[in-house]
Amino acid sequence: MIMAEPAARQDLESPAPVDEEVLVRQARRGDLTAYDELVRRYQERIYATIYHMTSNHEDANDLAQESFIKAFQALKSFKGGSSFYTWLYRIAVNKTINFLKQRKNRTHMSLNDLDFNAEHDPDLVALISDKTPRREAGLTELQEKLNAAMLKLSEPHRLVVVLHDVQGLSHDEIARIMDCNIGTVRSRLFYARQQLQGYLSDYLRPT
Amino acid sequence: MNENENNFESLRRLLALKRHEIPPPGYFNDFSRQVMSRIRAGETAESWEAAGASWLLKFLQVFEAKPAFVGAFACSLCLLLLLGIVYAERPDGMAKTGLLASVTQPSVSLADATSSVFSPSSVQTGLMVSTNPVLSLAPDASLFGQQSPLAQPVSVNFSLPGN
Repeated sequence: MIMAEPAARQDLESPAPVDEEVLVRQARRGDLTAYDELVRRYQERIYATIYHMTSNHEDANDLAQESFIKAFQALKSFKGGSSFYTWLYRIAVNKTINFLKQRKNRTHMSLNDLDFNAEHDPDLVALISDKTPRREAGLTELQEKLNAAMLKLSEPHRLVVVLHDVQGLSHDEIARIMDCNIGTVRSRLFYARQQLQGYLSDYLRPT
Repeated sequence: MNENENNFESLRRLLALKRHEIPPPGYFNDFSRQVMSRIRAGETAESWEAAGASWLLKFLQVFEAKPAFVGAFACSLCLLLLLGIVYAERPDGMAKTGLLASVTQPSVSLADATSSVFSPSSVQTGLMVSTNPVLSLAPDASLFGQQSPLAQPVSVNFSLPGN
């Protein structure tokens, strides 16, 4: 299974919007079955975003659960100005950023395993091929270095990279989630990529 | 921006590695159940709090409906308060001995009381139970139990001169 597959690049508000609206309305009335359906629908993407921000499975588990619980409690205040997904995402992102600020300088990575498909991903195979400066680097080492480099970024810069380059969200959607304009998203993304390129130069093929 | 995208192509390929990081198998099968059970647990706690509040409200509503209850409740509270004050201000020793004395000797005549107070034995007893160390070490130096050596009997003649 691949988390946050680029298939998520399709418009996030498109999958069965009517159903989502109905589910949200029922959940607002206290229907837990409807909310359970909403949790199942978005659990993987919410968890993945938090995991990529924290590089820690246990923290991601706690934060993802708390995000869904908080969303349920705040559902009455959800006015429907944005999609439920964007609103839920905002809750999860704010919760994660607050957590990371409190946890400052106490980072502990607890990385998930790589799935079977990673070894067959042509892009990744290319990275660990003979042309790679660090030929001996395996996928696990790459994973550790990549996560360590991500943790060196500030939270807003890391978030932009996670949402765009990992989760595949558009600039516009990221701007709505982060409550800033698209220009800010673009400049943050550029700066974050520059930083990451510097940290990971030994593992990147020269262009 | 396209040039920038090209510059970061290698980095983007590397970042694709993160999409292959997966949680333990079966993790998401149990995720929603955990969330829902935590939500239910929170709702139960809230309903208990609400139940406590409703009990108090019902109690207050009884008072609103029947003013006689308010009076009775207030009187009983005042009585309890008075009893508490009286009991708290009474010293333990006084409460015991005073109460016992009044029960066992309900009527004592004035003469009996005077004699018992001024009799040497009672004074002796009183001195013995005194907490004053000086007095207790010299029990004979009392005002009534012993005559002073300077005190001499003097005969007085009350007859008028010239009789």
